[in-house]
Amino acid sequence: MAAGVADFQAGERSLMDSDERYRRLFRTALMIRLVEERIIELYPSDRIQSPVHLSIGQEAVAVGVCDALNADDLVFATYRSHGFYIAKGGSLDKMFAELYGRIGGVSKGKAGSMHLSAPEVGLMGSSAVVASSIPHAVGAALSFKRRGSSRVAVAVFGDGATEEGVYHESLNFAALMKVPVLFLCEDNGLAVHSFKNARQSYNLLEHAKTFGIECRRVDEGWDMMAIRQATLDALSVVRAGRPFVLEIATGRYKEHVGVGDDFHFGYRSASDIDSWKAKDPLLLDAKLVAELKPEIDREIAAAAEFAENSAFPGRDELLTDII
Amino acid sequence: MNVSTKERPSTQTRVLSYAGALLETMDAALADHPNTFIMGQGVDDFKGIFGSTTGLAQKYGAEHVFDVPLMEEGMTGVAIGAALVGDYPITTHIRADFSFLAMNQIVNLASKYRYMFGGIMSCPMLIRLVVGRSWGQGAQHSQSPQATFAHYPGLTVVMPSTSQAILDMYPQIIARHPGPVVSIEHRLLYNLDFSVSAGAPSKPIPLTSYVAREGRDVTVVATSVMVLEALRAAQYVAEKAGIEVEVIDLNSISHPDWDLVIGSIRKTGRLVIADTSWLEYGVAGEVCRQVMLRDPAMLRQAPAMLGMAAAPCPTAKSLEDIYYPSQHETVEAILTQVRGSGHGIDLPVERSMTEGYKRFRGPF
Repeated sequence: MAAGVADFQAGERSLMDSDERYRRLFRTALMIRLVEERIIELYPSDRIQSPVHLSIGQEAVAVGVCDALNADDLVFATYRSHGFYIAKGGSLDKMFAELYGRIGGVSKGKAGSMHLSAPEVGLMGSSAVVASSIPHAVGAALSFKRRGSSRVAVAVFGDGATEEGVYHESLNFAALMKVPVLFLCEDNGLAVHSFKNARQSYNLLEHAKTFGIECRRVDEGWDMMAIRQATLDALSVVRAGRPFVLEIATGRYKEHVGVGDDFHFGYRSASDIDSWKAKDPLLLDAKLVAELKPEIDREIAAAAEFAENSAFPGRDELLTDII
Repeated sequence: MNVSTKERPSTQTRVLSYAGALLETMDAALADHPNTFIMGQGVDDFKGIFGSTTGLAQKYGAEHVFDVPLMEEGMTGVAIGAALVGDYPITTHIRADFSFLAMNQIVNLASKYRYMFGGIMSCPMLIRLVVGRSWGQGAQHSQSPQATFAHYPGLTVVMPSTSQAILDMYPQIIARHPGPVVSIEHRLLYNLDFSVSAGAPSKPIPLTSYVAREGRDVTVVATSVMVLEALRAAQYVAEKAGIEVEVIDLNSISHPDWDLVIGSIRKTGRLVIADTSWLEYGVAGEVCRQVMLRDPAMLRQAPAMLGMAAAPCPTAKSLEDIYYPSQHETVEAILTQVRGSGHGIDLPVERSMTEGYKRFRGPF
């Protein structure tokens, strides 16, 4: 009887923990979505004078993965990294100032949206050249291994990046050297406007297996909790010193670059992402959105104001930090 | 940097080959800096990158010196990632031509990392390239890409022409330089013996140009093995015609000491540029640009330029011998600058420089 009560209490506690966790993940995902929606509103004002690659629709991947990581684990990401920046804990003020090209930005305005980073919370430099940051994660993981550290590195990339040669080089080297790296593929099925079936003659997981690399695909790319758990499972392999390929299916709602929809161009139709929207918790859980939105909106407004009040980098910044 | 011994605490010298200097500096880097590692194709094999890494894998272990798969871009990316978290990677390319497979990482990433992220991250690392020449290296084992790399802000590019240059530059690059460095070594130099200072330099030596031989009649600005060719030619014209050539080893391609170069040209009024690569859009063009910007009137006549013929490198020896500037042509260029085309002085008969190097026994 006593044992039964304890089980019940433990179950209740874990349910509460789980609710708490869901709320935390949901809030971060909503933050990403609302930040990007604010970017869409701001874009016509030309305050952000650089290309933006929005992750609306893909938020759950960044949120689920980053929640499973330790604070000192490193993420190497891509030009589509607003989500990873926020999910890893980057400063919202510095992000907006960076997008605005201001001195108060993460990189004094020299990086912009495509090169966001927050090394203080483990988001290393993002690259705009597809696939090029994948070996950086492998190199950081190699260093962790050399030092006997328990830290891991995550290489974030899209499905298109796996067509690049350096992806294969990185898998091979990581498998040979047994370094603690998680290869995280955000599979949105599109490279700019090209569909995967026109680009790939291979299956990503079967390909990874030929290197002896353990791997898994998650089809429920809207499900933050499932992604978090899949990442934790993968990390148990990675922390034991074996690379892992985690492929997560997801949906890019917006155009490749820019703030608009792209269904009217005819290369894909809105119905292509209807199945994603039908399961999108940020669209379905209106009650939780309503509850969390006011506070998030205030944070975003404060960040935009911080950016607005930050100076433009002056001529003295043109030739600093080169070597 | 100055190879003369006058700034040094000790005037003692010793003889050390170029490969030996490389091996000493690689060894010292691993001994002095536990965060250093060397990776590249064949760094741990019995040839050890022409003797420049031989025995280091055995001495320091596979965590510090290791072979890699054929993955130039991946290897360079791995080096960047390791550098970002505090390791110091040294990568090697047994022929410089293979570094073109790593251009994306070197040019798009390593060179830009510090600036692009506003100075909050950097990736100090050393990328060693070996330029091939002679015995039919052909079009893809002979390229000398100093101008290519020096074009991109963020990269430091050096071309050590002597054992002393290696001893002076590599330790401080590895210990202190904040960013990525591309060092372009020359295969023809590897087996040459040089006199080097027995003592360590008393203070840091700038990674920049230096006067390799003082003279008053004509300035030769040279890179890598062409510095030795210029010194040999200088000796020849001094003996045959009493002409005093000032030879400047550009040494740093990305950050030369232009004041030193311009000061010398202002003094002599005559200029020969001797580079290991093509003249078009290269070091020769950059030297001339600096002259034009500062004071084109300092030149008494149009400068002479020596470099590879404007073609991919041919394999046939008969063509290869005329593809590169010979000692004959180097002397001719110097004499013509100083005495005009009717100088009437006998030229050296040596037309194949590499044969000269086979006969040559140092030390320089």
